[in-house]
Amino acid sequence: MSLETFSQLNWSIMTPEFLILGVIAILILMDLFMPKTLDRKILGWIGIAATFAALVSTASMIGGPVQSILHDTFRIDSFALAFKLLILVGGALVLFLAVSYEPKDGVERYQAEFYYLLMTAMLGAMVMTSSGDLITLFIGLELLSISSYILAGIRKFHGQSNESAMKYVVNGSISSAIVLFGMSYVYGLTGTTNLLEMASQLAALADSNHVYLLTLAFLMIVVGLAFKLAAAPFHMWAPDVYQGAATPVTAFLSVVSKIAGFVIVIRILLTVFGFAATKGQDSIPILYDMQNYLAVIAGATMIIGNVVALRQSDIKRMFAYSSIAHAGYLLVALTSLTTNMFQSIWFYLLAYLLMNLGAFAIIQVVTEKAGSTKIADFAGLYRRAPVLAVAMGILLVSLAGFPGTAGFIGKLNIFIGAFYAEPGHYVLASIMIATTVVSYFYYFSVMTQMFFRPAEDESKFNIPFGILVVLIIAVVGSVLLGVMPNIAFDFMQNNMDVIGDFFK
Amino acid sequence: MENAWLIPLFPLLSFMILLLIGKRLREASAYVGILLTLASLVFSILVLFERFSEPSYLAKFNWLTIGDLHLTAGFEVNQLNALMLFIVSLVSFLVHTYSKGYMHGDERFHIFYAYLGLFTFAMLGLVISPNILQTYIFWELVGVGSFLLIGFYYYKEEAKAAAKKAFIMTRIGDVGLLIGMILLFWQTKSFEYSEIFNAVEAGGVSNTMITLTAILIFIGAVGKSGQFPLHTWLPDAMEGPTPVSALIHAATMVAAGVYLVAALFPLFTASKTALLTVATIGGITAIFAASIGLVQTDIKRVLAYSTVSQLGYMMLALGSAGYVAGVFHLMTHAFFKALLFLAAGSVIHAVHTQNIEEMGGLWKKLKLTAPLFLIGTLAISGVPGLSGFFSKDEILVAAWEGGHPVLFLLALIAAFMTAFYMFRLFFMVFTGEKRGKQKDVHESPSVMTMPMVLLGILAVVAGYVNTPWFGSFLGDWLVDGNPALGHSHIEGPAWIMIAATVVSLAGILLAYLIYGKRSIAPDWLSGKGDMLHTVLNNKYYIDEFYKLTVVAFVTGFSYLLRFIDVFLVEGIVKGVTGIVQGLGRTGSKMQSGQVQTYGAVAFLGLAVLVVIYALTGGYLR
Repeated sequence: MSLETFSQLNWSIMTPEFLILGVIAILILMDLFMPKTLDRKILGWIGIAATFAALVSTASMIGGPVQSILHDTFRIDSFALAFKLLILVGGALVLFLAVSYEPKDGVERYQAEFYYLLMTAMLGAMVMTSSGDLITLFIGLELLSISSYILAGIRKFHGQSNESAMKYVVNGSISSAIVLFGMSYVYGLTGTTNLLEMASQLAALADSNHVYLLTLAFLMIVVGLAFKLAAAPFHMWAPDVYQGAATPVTAFLSVVSKIAGFVIVIRILLTVFGFAATKGQDSIPILYDMQNYLAVIAGATMIIGNVVALRQSDIKRMFAYSSIAHAGYLLVALTSLTTNMFQSIWFYLLAYLLMNLGAFAIIQVVTEKAGSTKIADFAGLYRRAPVLAVAMGILLVSLAGFPGTAGFIGKLNIFIGAFYAEPGHYVLASIMIATTVVSYFYYFSVMTQMFFRPAEDESKFNIPFGILVVLIIAVVGSVLLGVMPNIAFDFMQNNMDVIGDFFK
Repeated sequence: MENAWLIPLFPLLSFMILLLIGKRLREASAYVGILLTLASLVFSILVLFERFSEPSYLAKFNWLTIGDLHLTAGFEVNQLNALMLFIVSLVSFLVHTYSKGYMHGDERFHIFYAYLGLFTFAMLGLVISPNILQTYIFWELVGVGSFLLIGFYYYKEEAKAAAKKAFIMTRIGDVGLLIGMILLFWQTKSFEYSEIFNAVEAGGVSNTMITLTAILIFIGAVGKSGQFPLHTWLPDAMEGPTPVSALIHAATMVAAGVYLVAALFPLFTASKTALLTVATIGGITAIFAASIGLVQTDIKRVLAYSTVSQLGYMMLALGSAGYVAGVFHLMTHAFFKALLFLAAGSVIHAVHTQNIEEMGGLWKKLKLTAPLFLIGTLAISGVPGLSGFFSKDEILVAAWEGGHPVLFLLALIAAFMTAFYMFRLFFMVFTGEKRGKQKDVHESPSVMTMPMVLLGILAVVAGYVNTPWFGSFLGDWLVDGNPALGHSHIEGPAWIMIAATVVSLAGILLAYLIYGKRSIAPDWLSGKGDMLHTVLNNKYYIDEFYKLTVVAFVTGFSYLLRFIDVFLVEGIVKGVTGIVQGLGRTGSKMQSGQVQTYGAVAFLGLAVLVVIYALTGGYLR
């Protein structure tokens, strides 16, 4: 490729990524040249501004045609835009948490790194949404992962944080190895890394040996990527890592990283395995053939997440299991494979983003103040900070999927989807209901602490500005989408043709 | 009727105002709540009267569109809704008024009123919902209101536990409701009541599916209405403030289950099995709870078990295709049970205990409360002339004509027990010598007694809207234009009414002999005259006889049922939670902190999946 053609490429579709990348570079330089004594918080605000700019530029592309550059490795379709929006909103909220993060254990020295590593991780997730090629997908995944490994250990002088980073790296490497191994099978069978080319080649697959190999690849990719979703059987790292990492990092891992995980899972499973035939042209695709395996993973994830959460006395561990459980619900939607799957998953992730980040905002304030992460630290919150307690109450109720909140609409969608699918997934739907009931116990145990227990010390809270912003967006969003969910669905319906774009 | 949607919004407004500025208003919060629920009441009365002359009204808009699915929201005013609006807003208004006196001096006075507002909003929203999804949403919201109010005295361990128990137990039922609802949606492609009924009528749904969905939905009603075996939360819920018990656990929320069955009545009538289930559960609950009520010593717990038992009656009526009887009893029960609870609250307010063994001799001290309590007791016992008599009679007729002689008999025995334990309660509280430490007992302020007087009047006269003697106005109106709801009035043999009267009087008599005879027969009893005297002459052996046989048997039976209640029902609940907890323990044990384990589990998971694949679908076959 000559330089001329290179410069004539339609680079403008990468504007959001370039914006973030440029600002990251600026932040690194500023950090280098700023006197040591100056507060680095300003860098965090610049990062937030950049994220908003990227958000606007992403939003401006909505409704446009499908475009791709660099041999279809980077593409803009409705799917990419919809999920990129989620990642940017989530990233911005996490940055708000980060600038309000003031622990007393030596992160101050790495504040700037803290901000721009969050942004590189976010950049990786953004690249993943737009990838049309295994290579770019994997690069995005690794950019996200490696940044996250460092972030998990950013509290350098904190034993738990180090342990958390170590476990994350080891498990993450195992997962990458499994995924890559699976991908190598797919590459070996098709000779290409381009997803759409793979799809068209595999559509006529008839050799049963090839089908067998491809199905093995399917299992490996699913299990490997389960790491990013924190889904069974690759969920066990989550509680340890969530507990040890700084709270904004935990929030990032549980939301943005999980969204990115679903992006890559959907992209690969639907394009490659949604077409790969089992017995020649027009036979059942592997994805449909393997639905039951996905169902087992989804069911196990829901059960493990919800049941083990009951036993936790640490709020961050509890939320780790809760995030495992939510991954399970989302996998139910993926398993059902209805035409509304994209909307269901997108809406659920949006609801989950709002309620989980809101909850983490409160967890951050409370645990910082208490100096520990026990659930018991929430005792008497209602008396100490009624606003925080009520906000947390609303968010917990939404997480539990109570009517009138976004969480309920999300669950209802998935639930209806599981029934609507042909054939219906009744067992999975029942597991979902039963485990949801179980989840009431642990969400409500936090409520009981907040509202029905006396506080140990009566000191009041200062709510930092960043936390306040996150809380307002999260609470208003959770209630608004619970009462008028059509805002989100209409947006999706009117502006995005996800299914139509996906395979173009 | 176009403005009926405003009715739930007044209490919501009250909730919001009190949440924002309640702290500053302090006890003036009561006026906000009272005035706004009064507005609801006025609107409800207007709507009710309008509905007498005009057809039903339905308004809806598109709420949620997912792909080709359209879900609507809106409101509906039909006969049942209009009646429920009136009952709920009336009782809520009276309870708001009463609480001004009862909760006086409580530190969290404004919060109490805020919660009341939230609850009333949810309950009113529930009864005007035109589709089952919206009903479900408010149904859950009602549960939240109830949870907050039961746990209002959160510094009491029992109250905390009771709030949690109530919430979880009703959730179990709600799961049934949710699944039933989704199944119905899946079958009929709609959540709308009218479209569901059309689909059912047109035969678009298979019989098994109708039975299944109806029973699943009934499980939701079982949870909410405290029916056997999910009833155990209701007596515990008495830990809440007494006005709350009157509003939520007597007149409105617990009746929501009955309302739900009534609202979906055409679905239930389409399946004989479903109807029979409803009737049987109702009948069992009626006698089961009544017998437990015989040995309770806490004034509110007696009333709680009696509520469970009366709700069982309503279910029995609906299950015997007695739509009118069920709804009628729902109405009369709301009045007299709210009255009884408020009067009980007035008693507790005066003597500061709930143990009836520490009461006694209060008739002279509580000049207004006592007669009002008596009216409530007479009404619930089914003494001729009062509201409870007419509605209970309708139920008995419905059960008999519906071809359930066994259930009819159970209901008759339960009626006897009801009269007995209610009068036992009355005699122990109001007659005899004073027991326990009663200091400066005085009548409650008029802000508390006035609502009771109003309810007292209603408890007497409300029955006359539907009697075998003066015409069945209520029945005609309820089923007007809707043949699926059955007959407006079921003609039954006259002996049923006589039998009902006899068992009720027999129960009262027995209670008198055992608990009242300790006092010199007060003048007010002499009116009952001759029959009583004849029996009184022989009182020695009858008394002994009863004590030895009937009472021993009944007490034993009651302890047996209580035993089942504690060990079997709670045991199953405990067992399930035990299993879940055990799984949780195993799960957290596996979480050893060893990073090797985590990797190994992931590999093992992959290996298992691969092996299963190899065995079932793949290469090895």
